[in-house]
Amino acid sequence: MKEIVKIIIGLTISCLFAGVVLGGVYVITAKAKKHNQYLDVQQTMTKLLGYDKVVPPDLRFNHIHRYIIENGDCTCLGYMLPVKREGDEGCALLVIDLQGRLAGRYKIDIQPEKALNEQDRKQALEKALDGEIVTYADTAVIATLGGRRTAYLLAGKFPGFKGFIHVMPALDSGFRILGLEILEHSEDPGLGGEIEQVYFKNQFKGRDLDHLKYLKVIKQPLSKEYKIYLEAKKPEEIYSNADLAEIEKKYQNSDIHALTGATISSRAVTRGIKNIVKKFIYRIRILDRVISENKIPATF
Amino acid sequence: MRRSFKISFLLIVMMICVLSGKCRAGDRFIRNSAFKGDRQIIVTFAGPVSDVWANDISNFTVNEKPDPDIMLEIEDSTLSLDKTSLVFTFKDPLNREVPHCLTLKQIIADGRSQGTATVTLRKNYLAHLFSVFLGAVLIQNFVFVKYLGLCVFLGVSQKKSTAVGMGITFTIVIVFASMLSWFLYRFVLKPYHLDFLQVIVFIGLVSLTVQGIDTVLRKVNPALFKSFGVYLVLVISSCIILAVPLMLAANDYDMFESLMLSLGAGVGFLLALFLMASVRERLELANVPTPFRGMPIAFIITGLFALSFMGFSGMSLF
Amino acid sequence: MSSSSRTNRELFINGILNENPIFRLALSMCPAVGISTTVMNGILLGIAVLFVQVFSSCTISLIRNHIHPRIRIPTYTLTIATWVTVIDLVLAAFFPTAYKSLGIFVRLIVVFCFITCRLDVFAARNRLFPSCIDALGMGCGFLLGMVVVGGVRELLGMGTLLGYNILGFRPMFFFALPAAGFFTIGFMTAAFNHMETVYNRKKSTSRGSAASGAGL
Repeated sequence: MKEIVKIIIGLTISCLFAGVVLGGVYVITAKAKKHNQYLDVQQTMTKLLGYDKVVPPDLRFNHIHRYIIENGDCTCLGYMLPVKREGDEGCALLVIDLQGRLAGRYKIDIQPEKALNEQDRKQALEKALDGEIVTYADTAVIATLGGRRTAYLLAGKFPGFKGFIHVMPALDSGFRILGLEILEHSEDPGLGGEIEQVYFKNQFKGRDLDHLKYLKVIKQPLSKEYKIYLEAKKPEEIYSNADLAEIEKKYQNSDIHALTGATISSRAVTRGIKNIVKKFIYRIRILDRVISENKIPATF
Repeated sequence: MRRSFKISFLLIVMMICVLSGKCRAGDRFIRNSAFKGDRQIIVTFAGPVSDVWANDISNFTVNEKPDPDIMLEIEDSTLSLDKTSLVFTFKDPLNREVPHCLTLKQIIADGRSQGTATVTLRKNYLAHLFSVFLGAVLIQNFVFVKYLGLCVFLGVSQKKSTAVGMGITFTIVIVFASMLSWFLYRFVLKPYHLDFLQVIVFIGLVSLTVQGIDTVLRKVNPALFKSFGVYLVLVISSCIILAVPLMLAANDYDMFESLMLSLGAGVGFLLALFLMASVRERLELANVPTPFRGMPIAFIITGLFALSFMGFSGMSLF
Repeated sequence: MSSSSRTNRELFINGILNENPIFRLALSMCPAVGISTTVMNGILLGIAVLFVQVFSSCTISLIRNHIHPRIRIPTYTLTIATWVTVIDLVLAAFFPTAYKSLGIFVRLIVVFCFITCRLDVFAARNRLFPSCIDALGMGCGFLLGMVVVGGVRELLGMGTLLGYNILGFRPMFFFALPAAGFFTIGFMTAAFNHMETVYNRKKSTSRGSAASGAGL
């Protein structure tokens, strides 16, 4: 009996000690992790827009958070976006029904910067709407340069060959693909892991929606000329204007060349990008119409 | 031994019953709905429907379940000659990986309305579960494709009998441990944002399961314990036992998927052990160069197995 | 005490050569096969393991007189799991890229047998300083093993070392494939074994000749 008590006390003390250590480390690292992640995402976004070192001061990222709102048996979409208020900025939630009409408009009491934090955002939302079930869906970013839209940055994930692949495609204001970044993946190094290579990602550049819809993956190897063009950091410095135009014309309609030994990963990325971009364009058109029809003072 | 087989068989039958009940169509009048090819959906009705109703595309809406706002464009709907099955053709190829919602407004059959029906189309759930299982056994075999659990794998694959004993013990432990950790993760760790405690909680649960099975087996069936008890301790030192709960947590699997994945991981490990043991038994008769005897040749054989298992990659079943 | 008979230097070398976890004990091979495609990955995981081993050894050595013998193993597991979680959190917060490339293996350090083994065999019976040295030796042995395997695979598979282009071409792309880890380790262990036999034979023949000389 005495031994059991001894054992229990021993184990309890060690567990308590472990708990204290872990809790302390978590408190210290959680903040740093959030901050580093924020910086990382910010850097990826500016890089995708083509700003390597110098970032123009009037570049601004407007985050639009999409929610699915269920109220009884009717389902609506909620878009939380930054809006202008007198001398200040706040957030608004636009509820749009499935037919694309504005069904409600709420003022959310939160700063756009603070709304980046999922927990804070959720709290503010719950305060504004009561009783409705709100599920977070995704976040898209509209980049503006001095008030004019320059690009859309989307985020999404889809299953690859081994695990989920997280990507961030960028579209320009005319919905052409501006660039693609692979944020996270667990494909095999040397095979599927090559989706990180510049020459693969750049194959998506310049495609628009009509073209993207029917984009296929083919197993032919990349021609040398095309690969050099794709890998060039600044193609306009290597090629003369005429050459550049010729190459772009030659390859603008080509399909995506699969990576050697990683056809499944290549297909997964192509299909995933296709889906993300297609859905985003569909939604942003509705949202834009609603914003202009109802004269909502959005910041973008 | 026989009784336990009976019980497990009964459990499996019950599970199949529950699951097959789950994937029936939602409405009484609609008998079946399924994907057909890349851009078609076929719906079968219990009786003949009106062809005027069926040919009016505005009666139907289709959307992917996670995106209720995006209606897919239907190009054409054609009714079969006996008027009981309807085929929808879509403008763009469908993404069959996600479940689709199909709404049929005011179905008209025999001259009267049958009401509005909503059906959810998904890949057959049972088939999906089976593909998760087979995926864990062959395509993503934990030993040969994911390179986990090698210490135990190399340690106990000397003889077929030990390999089978270890494999069975391992399967039982991993199924129990992963289900426990799935419950704890889903209902405690995740709601309270304690994700960072995953490792410590899961390893504790694994030890608990092993200790529990040890105690129960010792009391209930001493003969079985005598033959399998030795392996129980070894189970803890295999990475797979921790990797499976971590994967379940990372991928948000539901209960049956988790069950299938852990079962698949166990069976895959058993398969790997058995294959390796068969080769190593033969190898004892072979003339292996001295420096390669023991571990090195075992590694090279594992490498050959791994290469051959690469052939399963990309295999998709359903 | 076993440590009294051995100097600190011997303790340190023991982990690297005589009881190298990868090449001699063949324990904890999973990461050695799974992610040793580049030297960098090897170094990162090696450092993580080194930290876990040193911290756990020190902890166990400090509390060794208070551990009840019946809950020995659970205490070890708890200690290792705590330190692994700490490393996991720190890596995720401050070195996100490294954390991403190591994937699930950081968390799997918990079940690496040689760490528990070292706690039981050494740290639970020795004072703080020797335990620390022993853990350092073991950790460095693992680090070295990972770096060597990673180096061979990266050089032969991609023609680079630490990301720098050395050869300018890919001699055998096969080695970058995941399955090649088994072959690399198999051949390297065989090479170690061969060297050992040759070394022993030389020693025994020289001793044998000395003995026969004495006999004459």
